[in-house]
Amino acid sequence: MLMQNTTSSSSSVTAVAPAASAAGAVLLEGVCKRFGKVDAVRGISLSIPERSLCGFLGPNGAGKSTTIRMIMSIIAPDAGRVEVMGSSALAMKDRIGYLPEDRGLYRKMKVGEFVGYMARLKGVHPQGLSRRIDDWLERLELPGVIKRRCEELSKGQQQKIQLLASIIHAPDLLILDEPFSGLDPVNGRLVLELIRSEQARGATIIFSTHQMHTAEALCDKVVLINKGEKVLDATMPELRARYDDRGLVCEPLSAPDDFAALALRSGLAMHARTHENGAVDLDLAAGVAAADAMRAVLELAPMRSLGLRRMNLDDLFVELVSGPESGGSARKGAKIDA
Amino acid sequence: MPDRPNQSYLGKVVLVAWREFRHTALTKGFIFGAVAVPVVMFGVITLMPLLVSRESPPLVGTIVVADPEGSVSARAEQVLVTPPSVKEVLDELASAEATPASPAGTAEAIDAASSLSAAPQRIEVTWRVEPSLDAVEAIKRDVREGKILAGAAIPPDALDPANATDGFELFIPSSLSPKHVRQITRALGVALEEERVERSGLDAALLARLKDRPEPRTTRISPEGDEAEENTEARFLVPIAFMFLLWITVFTSANYLLTTTIEEKSNKVMEVLLAAASPLQLLGGKIVGYALVSTVMLVMYGALGVAGLTALAMGDLVPAMHLVYLAIYFVIAYVMVAAMMSAVGSAVSDLREAQSLVGPVMTLLLVPLILWMPITQDPNGMLATITSFIPPASPFVMILRLTAATEPVPMWQVIAATVWGLACAAGLLWLASRIFRVGVLMQGKPPTPRELLKWAFVR
Repeated sequence: MLMQNTTSSSSSVTAVAPAASAAGAVLLEGVCKRFGKVDAVRGISLSIPERSLCGFLGPNGAGKSTTIRMIMSIIAPDAGRVEVMGSSALAMKDRIGYLPEDRGLYRKMKVGEFVGYMARLKGVHPQGLSRRIDDWLERLELPGVIKRRCEELSKGQQQKIQLLASIIHAPDLLILDEPFSGLDPVNGRLVLELIRSEQARGATIIFSTHQMHTAEALCDKVVLINKGEKVLDATMPELRARYDDRGLVCEPLSAPDDFAALALRSGLAMHARTHENGAVDLDLAAGVAAADAMRAVLELAPMRSLGLRRMNLDDLFVELVSGPESGGSARKGAKIDA
Repeated sequence: MPDRPNQSYLGKVVLVAWREFRHTALTKGFIFGAVAVPVVMFGVITLMPLLVSRESPPLVGTIVVADPEGSVSARAEQVLVTPPSVKEVLDELASAEATPASPAGTAEAIDAASSLSAAPQRIEVTWRVEPSLDAVEAIKRDVREGKILAGAAIPPDALDPANATDGFELFIPSSLSPKHVRQITRALGVALEEERVERSGLDAALLARLKDRPEPRTTRISPEGDEAEENTEARFLVPIAFMFLLWITVFTSANYLLTTTIEEKSNKVMEVLLAAASPLQLLGGKIVGYALVSTVMLVMYGALGVAGLTALAMGDLVPAMHLVYLAIYFVIAYVMVAAMMSAVGSAVSDLREAQSLVGPVMTLLLVPLILWMPITQDPNGMLATITSFIPPASPFVMILRLTAATEPVPMWQVIAATVWGLACAAGLLWLASRIFRVGVLMQGKPPTPRELLKWAFVR
């Protein structure tokens, strides 16, 4: 299982990472794309290792879908190089599964016929195809829809059919543009499990999403794109190492403001933030080790809970996209300086 | 894990083509329109004479004529059992067509045309002559009571060669069919005419022969010395039939291509397809698929036309070479029009937006429809020659010229127009593939023709 536990320490996460091969499934070098006067993608370079699960993050209009379309060779870059599994995506088309942001299917076609058509286009042999479609429909909790027209299905069911059309040929590279949008929590979880099982099968997966908690739960690697530029490209362990700032999250039994003042006076922290829920964030002073600080905090006041402050992808996203001043929700609160 | 999937380049084209064909041609609507209708029409054409001859009602009963002179009814008896000549029927048809369109006129024309049928009809009519015009009231009563088939009154003035202005009176029951009315009217009318001629001292048979305008056997001789028998009907009907067949089959399929491309784009299914096949494979598959649809229509309606002509013993109006030309110019016309329609379809998001871009294409396609008369009148004239080289009208004009059944089109022009047509078709296909590649992913306001051209040269 390649998935990392988000609550595990940095060292244990690093131990999981080598499962991803060093060889790149996708390689982009200085890729640019311009539409009229708009620079949609500006010099993006990145490498996505084989069998990894990479999240493409970014605000709306950041250039994620354009980058994905260039990886798929649906559109050609104006400059730069795109390589997919050591070749061009055109040559590798049958080994790639793609769920575009704009979902589409032939409304009048029957479900089995549509999935079968897409599978045949991807080179799946017709022998046994019907059986394979049946099995997948069962797995996606869509039994008995094979002979129904696509237009007769609900939006969520249609979305699952589109997802099935992108994985029916067991692709080596699976690119999913916003796979969770429009899904209820039950179906969202089903798709999540499907993505995990596809990765376990050996596929490299790239997916774009706005759901940071999903990305945090799923990804080995995260690429953040903003205004056509790559602003972040790191594995989750690297992210934690880079952005887990030196801080504690304390929940004192006493009044939070009193505890914050006490912590600042003791020299443990240089800043403290109190939150409405009674929690206090402490930014540790230089030279104070986190373990020592935790012991010291417990001596200062009895605690309901105490922990190390962890990197939060949601906050990181907002900070990188909107600038450090905006801050994340975890850092909001009344700030007290030493 | 299943075998590594791999679909060949042409395999994808074939798959796309088959899907397009299947979802267009193998539908109830298409099968009814393009297959069932021609088959039924062919059946009707073939079986109609048979049905008409079997259903032709017998003419049985008594006709009473108040004929003081006593000479008309004997002649009418003879005329009634003699079928009308072709010339006589054609004259009647011409007079029916000359009258303003009306149900009565149409019925007359159909009735006259049905007289050409060689179907036997049982005619058992007893003619009775009443020597006095006073019998008219009794005749009318007998007609009313259904005792006799019909009655007539011939006034003596109607037979006077010097003053033959009066006609005759005919009394018929309301149940008598129009066909029987025509037969009786013809018999009495012709009898009156013959009687007048004889009373004037002329030989009726001689007069008929003298009045029979001779029809020439016309042979057209080209400057090269080629001779071809003139056939007026062929000259007017065959070219327009060929051109319409070509136009309708090409335009119908190209229109399907336009609407399905727009539909795929607006349904957002296009990007899904582009993840599985290249734009050129998609475009190729679509064009091949609808070419098959078009071919089915061409073959069905073409076969219907040929079978109909053969059934009417006019098969020689369509020589085999015309069918070869039809096939060649069908390919050229279809590729040209389909390429343009697919380019337009890829560039817009709905049919309304497509109208402004399809307009110029349609204008060019209307050229042969507007100019078919002058082109067939003078197939080697300046107008015909120039329009033969203007795409996409050129294949339609060429089929008009080549089937016009007059002097042959110079071979160099046939070769040049064909090569030029193929080159234009290839060029338009290339242009369409370039536009298609960019257009299918474009959203928002429709492009101008200038922007379309710009897309063709985008990397």
